[in-house]
Amino acid sequence: MQGYVRAGSSQPVWLFPFIVSVVLFLSVLPLARLAIVGISAFANGGVMVVLSDPMVWSAVYYTIVTAIIGTIISLVIGCAFAYLLTLTDIPAKGPLSFFFVLPMMIPPQVTALAWVQMSGPSSPLLKALHIAPPMGSPQPLYSVAGIALLYGVQHAPLVYLALRAGLMTLPRDGVEAARLSGASSLRVFRDIILPLSLPGVIAGAAISFVSCTGNFGIPAILGIPASIFTLPTLIFSKFTAFTGRTFGDVALLSAIIALISVAGLAIQDRALRGRDYRVIGLSGATAAFELGGWKLIFTPLLWIVLFFMLAAPFFALVAGALVPAYGVPLTFKTMTFHAFEEILFRQAVTRTAFVNSLSLASGAAVGLLFITVLAAYALTRRKDMLSRVVSSLVEIPYSLPGIVMAVCFILVFAAPIPVLNVTLYGTVWIILIAYFSSFFAVSLKPVVSAFHQLDPALEEAARLSGAGFFRRLKDIIVPLIAPAAGASVILVFLIACNELTISALLWSAGTQTLGVAIYNLDDSGSSDLASALSVLVVFMVVAMMLLLELLAKHLPKGVVPWRS
Amino acid sequence: MKTLVSAAALLAASLLAIPASAANLVLYTSQPNEDAQATVDGFMAANPDIKVDWVRDGTPKIMAKLQAEIQAGNPVADVLLIADVVTLERLKEDGKLLAYKSPEAANYDAALYDADGYYYSTKLITTGIMYNTSAAMKPTSWKDLAKPEAKGLVTMPSPLASGAALIHAQTLAAVPGLGWDFYKSLADNAAVASGGNGVVLKSVASGEKAYGVVVDYLPIREKAKGAPVEFVFPSEGVSAVTEPVGILASAKNVDAAKKFVDYVLSEKGQEGFLKLGYIPARNGMKLPAAFPARDTIKVLPVNAAEALANTDKDLKTFTDLFGSK
Repeated sequence: MQGYVRAGSSQPVWLFPFIVSVVLFLSVLPLARLAIVGISAFANGGVMVVLSDPMVWSAVYYTIVTAIIGTIISLVIGCAFAYLLTLTDIPAKGPLSFFFVLPMMIPPQVTALAWVQMSGPSSPLLKALHIAPPMGSPQPLYSVAGIALLYGVQHAPLVYLALRAGLMTLPRDGVEAARLSGASSLRVFRDIILPLSLPGVIAGAAISFVSCTGNFGIPAILGIPASIFTLPTLIFSKFTAFTGRTFGDVALLSAIIALISVAGLAIQDRALRGRDYRVIGLSGATAAFELGGWKLIFTPLLWIVLFFMLAAPFFALVAGALVPAYGVPLTFKTMTFHAFEEILFRQAVTRTAFVNSLSLASGAAVGLLFITVLAAYALTRRKDMLSRVVSSLVEIPYSLPGIVMAVCFILVFAAPIPVLNVTLYGTVWIILIAYFSSFFAVSLKPVVSAFHQLDPALEEAARLSGAGFFRRLKDIIVPLIAPAAGASVILVFLIACNELTISALLWSAGTQTLGVAIYNLDDSGSSDLASALSVLVVFMVVAMMLLLELLAKHLPKGVVPWRS
Repeated sequence: MKTLVSAAALLAASLLAIPASAANLVLYTSQPNEDAQATVDGFMAANPDIKVDWVRDGTPKIMAKLQAEIQAGNPVADVLLIADVVTLERLKEDGKLLAYKSPEAANYDAALYDADGYYYSTKLITTGIMYNTSAAMKPTSWKDLAKPEAKGLVTMPSPLASGAALIHAQTLAAVPGLGWDFYKSLADNAAVASGGNGVVLKSVASGEKAYGVVVDYLPIREKAKGAPVEFVFPSEGVSAVTEPVGILASAKNVDAAKKFVDYVLSEKGQEGFLKLGYIPARNGMKLPAAFPARDTIKVLPVNAAEALANTDKDLKTFTDLFGSK
């Protein structure tokens, strides 16, 4: 009977220690290893060598500058879409929201590749339209502004999602009271909505900033040709010019990125302090404003922005995949499917990359699900200090840039594992473990929210009737959280499939992922092949998002990010 | 619910398909993707029982990958097919290569392979000048690239990304009348150096730049496909690399690696290179279409021992002029 009274004791004894050891392995061990290598570099003076290198400081400068400008751009676009789509009666909200979130799901190097194909003197699209700039003019995107612009486009959906979550819970009665007192729409927006939604804006800015500092795909394609290195691309280039000191150097560099991300999050924390608005009353401020005549301006405006964010780069990507040879003008007569043929039927790397990415992504998604169901159970049933610590430890690898985690796992697994004498470095397993670590939080979130909605009485009833832990899991818990579990699997799958930052450092012969294959093809000058593969990846992403959209009505609210 | 379970089962099934990393033969090469695939396809057609996994990157980068793996205690590659003998000579001196006397060596000029059998040249790749046909000036000599007409319009591969580019820089630096002063005049003329030869090809063919320093087969092949480019062998002469093949001492699949060496040196393998537009290294082979006769191509000499000794110094000189990209 006492188990019924004391919350938390209905779980088997091994469960919580098991979760703690998984978290120790996935979060604490890699970061501790990074810290040790960093500290030993301090001890033997390697730090001075790294810190006196002007390249490092220019990379720190470019990382921060591009991240700040990129965040500002993503704030402008993301806020505009969030306010308009959440608060007004603008038509076709569903499709607008779906398309607006799409850039977030597209691998960043594909975005960068598409924009490069869209601009500059070599753009097949501009050439086909006869509006390409003259020979020798610089590619405008190979610059700080170009990197920041694409950061803005890529991360605007993050701001949108963060702000939208806040806007959904806005009190309708506050708006109505102001309205009744005769306040104009502008006044209501300025005095009620803006202050109340500020925490969402700040949170969005922080997520965007951290994602910008850790982005690899965009500065790799836009920055490296112009010698603009950010910290992630500098780490990558240290690996491509390997010396005996490389491991120590990259440990320090990734510590700097981690510090910048933590600083960004700390600023967010400070900005949010004193803004803990508890909102009471009726929430759900959907369509609080009627746009009226403004609809004629805003609707086309949003679609035009989407056209330039999505459609134009996509057409450029397709054009880049259809040219017969570089510099040949693209017409219906000259266009060829050679690049698609080569990618689909001849290049072995395509098959390898699809098999690797799909199996790594499904391995991470399904494998994590088993852990997260147990973890969510243990963490929601147990409400002590320790479980809160474990929850935040799970969050750390996800909030750190992927390149930092990749470096951590290289340091952990570079040498053969003691006792077993197996080397994981250079195998597909090191990538899988890094994915487990980085995407644990993504997988956990929907499952935890499903557990919070679960009535414990159901399980306790089963327990009183003598059902064991696994029986309860199978008959009661899993069926009830199944929709959230499905969403968790698809989200992790989608993110892992498009991932480049982690695998860029960890791949080896036969373990190339899709992200790596696209980057390597472009890096070797075969941008037609890279474009063709990118087009296939875009189709795959859209198909998976549509699948999630179809599942959406069976899922708890808020699990599919772009749906209201 | 049922659909979710079956979806999960499907995902779990695909998980089992994670490829075993123990492939038969692992090749690290600096050939462009399409050519590497064609070489591997030819080899696998001749040896159906051997499966090849290959990785493609510029020579300096792929060597870095190899060094990282060696340091981590898990070198994955069995066989290397990379730009230049200087790099392989260094590996040989470090004891990282395996000697193998290929029976095919009899058909090769003795200067084209290592006497102890550590590496064998497979083809001749020269570096000359390509230009976009809409460019105002038609260059005929290296010095033309330093003329005011070419200001800001010249691009070249970086020795940090391409093995051929390093040898090229070291070759021209030793030519009287050119030397590092020539590179300085290029830098003053706002020439850029970044990425590998593929990047240069794309940049010039698509009209981003007008002139490029590049390996011969790329523009000659693209021209045949209709790209608006021309390749010239400059009057001072061209530099050359020979894309040698060598087996790593740490190779796990030595027999398959030996078969690969034999294949690329065999008449069949050499014909494969010829078809791709390379000058084969084997005696008595034809030249690819659109190449001038072999004896009219003036190949500038490079002192391999000096090149090896000066690599770090030369890289620094180059990157001081053009930055490290």
